[in-house]
Amino acid sequence: MSLQLLNPKAESLRRDAALKVNITSAEGLQSVLETNLGPKGTLKMLVDGAGNIKLTKDGKVLLTEMQIQSPTAVLIARAAAAQDEITGDGTTTVVCLVGELLRQAYRFIQEGVHPRIITDGFEIARKEALKFLDEFKIDKKGEDGAIDREFLLQVARSSLSTKVNNELTEVLGPIVTDAVLNVSHSNDNNSNAMDLHMVEIMQMQHLSPKDTLFIKGLVLDHGGRHPDMPIRVENAHVLILNVSLEYEKTEVNSGFYYSSADQRDKLAASERKFVDEKLKKIIDLKNEVCGLDSNKGFVIINQKGIDPMSLDVLAKHNILALRRAKRRNMERLQLVTGGEAQNSVEDLSPSILGYSGLIYTETIGEEKFTYVTENKDPKSCTILIKGSTHYALNQTKDAIRDGLRAVANVIKDNTVVPGAGAYFIAAANHLKKSNMTKLGAKGKTKTGIEAFAEALLVVPKTLVKNSGYDALDVLALCEDELEDAQDGGDNERRYVGVDLNIGDSCDPTIEGIWDSYRVLRNAISGATGIASNLLLCDELLRAGRSTLKEGAPQ
Amino acid sequence: MSLKLPQNPNAGLFKQGYNSYSNADGQINKSIAAVRELHQMCLTSMGPCGRNKIIVNHMGKITITNDAATMLRELEIVHPAVKVLVMATEQQKIELGDGTNLVMVLAGELLNVCEKLIALGLSAVEIIQGYNMAKNFTLQELDKLVVDDIVDKNDKSQLIKIIKPVIASKQFGFEDLLSDLVADAVSHVLPKTSQSTNPYFNVDSIRVVKIMGGSLSNSTVIKGMVFNREPEGHVKSLEGGEQHKVAVFVCPLDIANTETKGTVLLHNAQEMMDFSKGEEKQIDAMMKEIADMGVKCIIAGAGVGELALHYLNRYGILVLKVPSKFELRRICRVCGATPLPRLGAPTPEELGVVETVKTMEIGGDRVTVFKQESNEISKTATIILRGATQNNLDDIERAVDDGVSAIKGLMKPSGGKLLPGAGATEIELVSRITKFGEKTPGLLQLAIKQFALAFEVVPRTLAETAGLDVNEVLPNLYAAHTMTDDEANEPSSQNDCLFKGIDTLGETSEGVKDIREDGVYDMLATKKFAINVATEAATTVLSIDQIIMAKKAGGPKPPQGPRPGNWDQDD
Repeated sequence: MSLQLLNPKAESLRRDAALKVNITSAEGLQSVLETNLGPKGTLKMLVDGAGNIKLTKDGKVLLTEMQIQSPTAVLIARAAAAQDEITGDGTTTVVCLVGELLRQAYRFIQEGVHPRIITDGFEIARKEALKFLDEFKIDKKGEDGAIDREFLLQVARSSLSTKVNNELTEVLGPIVTDAVLNVSHSNDNNSNAMDLHMVEIMQMQHLSPKDTLFIKGLVLDHGGRHPDMPIRVENAHVLILNVSLEYEKTEVNSGFYYSSADQRDKLAASERKFVDEKLKKIIDLKNEVCGLDSNKGFVIINQKGIDPMSLDVLAKHNILALRRAKRRNMERLQLVTGGEAQNSVEDLSPSILGYSGLIYTETIGEEKFTYVTENKDPKSCTILIKGSTHYALNQTKDAIRDGLRAVANVIKDNTVVPGAGAYFIAAANHLKKSNMTKLGAKGKTKTGIEAFAEALLVVPKTLVKNSGYDALDVLALCEDELEDAQDGGDNERRYVGVDLNIGDSCDPTIEGIWDSYRVLRNAISGATGIASNLLLCDELLRAGRSTLKEGAPQ
Repeated sequence: MSLKLPQNPNAGLFKQGYNSYSNADGQINKSIAAVRELHQMCLTSMGPCGRNKIIVNHMGKITITNDAATMLRELEIVHPAVKVLVMATEQQKIELGDGTNLVMVLAGELLNVCEKLIALGLSAVEIIQGYNMAKNFTLQELDKLVVDDIVDKNDKSQLIKIIKPVIASKQFGFEDLLSDLVADAVSHVLPKTSQSTNPYFNVDSIRVVKIMGGSLSNSTVIKGMVFNREPEGHVKSLEGGEQHKVAVFVCPLDIANTETKGTVLLHNAQEMMDFSKGEEKQIDAMMKEIADMGVKCIIAGAGVGELALHYLNRYGILVLKVPSKFELRRICRVCGATPLPRLGAPTPEELGVVETVKTMEIGGDRVTVFKQESNEISKTATIILRGATQNNLDDIERAVDDGVSAIKGLMKPSGGKLLPGAGATEIELVSRITKFGEKTPGLLQLAIKQFALAFEVVPRTLAETAGLDVNEVLPNLYAAHTMTDDEANEPSSQNDCLFKGIDTLGETSEGVKDIREDGVYDMLATKKFAINVATEAATTVLSIDQIIMAKKAGGPKPPQGPRPGNWDQDD
């Protein structure tokens, strides 16, 4: 090429080379992540630039923590991250599916099938697979519209076991389930309005992850800032405030002019007066509700600051005051205590106060934690994660986040899909068996469907591989069982998944392994979309460096 | 960052500078090798005869210690797998204060022994499973090995029983002296309650002041607090015998200032004179008010103005500046005073009392001592440590801190349970876990047996550091722990076999001694926690199949090596 179209510094890859790069990067990413899939997946240790350690099994964490350079891999990573945002799980599944779809497609491309034809096949197969998913799912709506707790426990366990070890799963399962149930009851006629943010996740560097607690109430990560404040208040009236109890500078530039020390004293006092009046109103309210009854306590939780002098005044009246609470905790506090947050002290009345049976402060090392517990019908709750080290805390936190989403998904969908790879095995079987012409696939388009069906099997295959068994062996066993069931003329659908403990087939509905419907739906749609895009890509271009900065020779 | 096209397949999936080590290239073996290096280092520092190490950190600070937590902190480990172990020791330090070396050595040994299993072809998952089973069994077994239980937590001799072995492992030879000091301080602070309840004990109530000079035997315990500075004004001490009133101010002892910027508006010279006079008068009035309340001592948390000091001197009030907020809170507790956020006459309830305030010269330092003699229980006790060098003092302080933490552990419910020390517990565990392993079917048996073997490291190291012949002493110890069926059924506190431990002093010919003679006990809580975190750390390292390391982020460059040539060649 004597004449260059491109800036001499631009890089480009065309045609086959482009496709090859796409496919190898996708496979590369798949090979990094596939060992993490499933309950028997292994851990990865990430060390960031500052030397901090992170241990994870979660595909999403891996993809966001690693700085990926290959453009193809970035594309897949973003799709997987989107999957996490929408459904909270299934990132590794997406990456595996994309890699495998491309690998299978490449087989046919090498035989001369045009990528466009394969993607057409993918599209048909995707529609069919999703239709099959709708048939395959199991409705789990009880008579009264609620799903029973035992079942949700199984869902939570299935999700958690892919993130943390068995012992921890047993501890976290009930915690996660109860937390979701706690916030979801808040709106009975429209259960979709559940707000998972109302589950506070608090970390405490103490003991081990197995000591993680579920608290029906709120835990705040700070305490009273005055040594004389009570650290344990029973029968507490809770005032939720968003009022600054410290001297605020005026917006305009102002100054005092005085000519004697007396005058200055008066000015200094007048500065305080404003805050003191606010304090007086609060203390009046306290006296009104508590009277001389020493059994009742009074607690202020303020989103704004409280200065030392105000703290002193409050401490003298035996009031526990917390300052600078998180904004989100203000919302949660209203749900927990039943009080109303106040933006001014003008209309304080006993009716806006919340109630808590027991509020106490606990000190661990340098850090203070305040528990708001024993409430009347709290609609927000806290998961208090414990762990001896930073990485253990983060690992547990990521797992809990995913577990919460998994349980919430099932409550929202009211359906589940049998797990342990059952759907993938059945769907692949279904696609291979069905009459492709009827689906609208003619001629070479069938290759796309074939590739798709084969690619679906990557999930059960990887699951088996990670637990140390022979993937093809176990998969053959499962397929045989599926065939037997169909031959036997059973009208009942058989669910066949892989058993990772003994390397055999199993029935996930009996074992209690469930996948979330929307996770699978999104994963299949997303993965097919990305894979098709990557297949249809025939040139990679990277812009050259701008000529303006020609300073740096390479 | 702009994306870059990979030129050859799969290269450049990650950003440049990323390192990835997967199990396929033997990551686990490399990690174990790295752990072993640190393990070997900590090994020689274990136990009473453990050797000291000099560590010069990147700032050039010299630390001499045999305390594992301090060593590991100063070393600034970067290897990620080793760091997991270091974090485990830190956790032990935070939760219990002692037993850090046990965590490091045990975790290192657990990884060491499993290298064989990996070579045999066992998968990491199986080893982890086996280790966890063995750990659960060990924790149960430890409860059965308890030989003593301290019930009366107010008895000084009982306190010493716990403190002594802890301090002996850090400052061998001074353990009697130091444990006496600590026990003294603790008994000053502990509320006298009935035997059964667990008294509340705050580590913060034992203060340590290090003053260079003299020798360790000059160290003393004071009921009250010691500050490393002298009072501001002329009044330097208040005699004992009566209750002096104390006021504590957190605001500056000065003219009140407005938050908003103030400007003095003066028109002529007369006004200026009046202004200064007015200020003086105000301060005078304020100080007089305070003096009228009978206050004899003021503790200021912030600055003390010249003018205020002048008047305070005139009223004969002692003024001490305490800049640290925490110290201020402690002195409030000692005197029973309430810190006052604004200047003004305090109410009688806000005042505290102190018996003696003395300014003393210890060594070259002038210190102020606040004593509460007559009170049955003082809220705070201070141990004044004397020693020849700063390093020595630091090391002694660490030993004292460990002793105090041991007391904290004791005060917890069922914290008084004791295990036999000097390797006796570990030897017993080796045989018991091995027996348990033999009963377990399948491949897990191998892992459990190796877990048992790892415990041997403790007696072995104790014997080694003490200069005994390991090959002779260990078999003797095993033999001493072999019991007949009758003996095995005896309750643990009367079973003589259980008490046989390593004789670190080399007094007996076979190197085995009854630990009751020297009173070497370990706390159950410490040992349990240590075994727990050590196993957790070891299994964490085993469960990793890939390490992905980012390029080291920017920041200050590490100091370059010494320049060639003489150090004071400037050119």
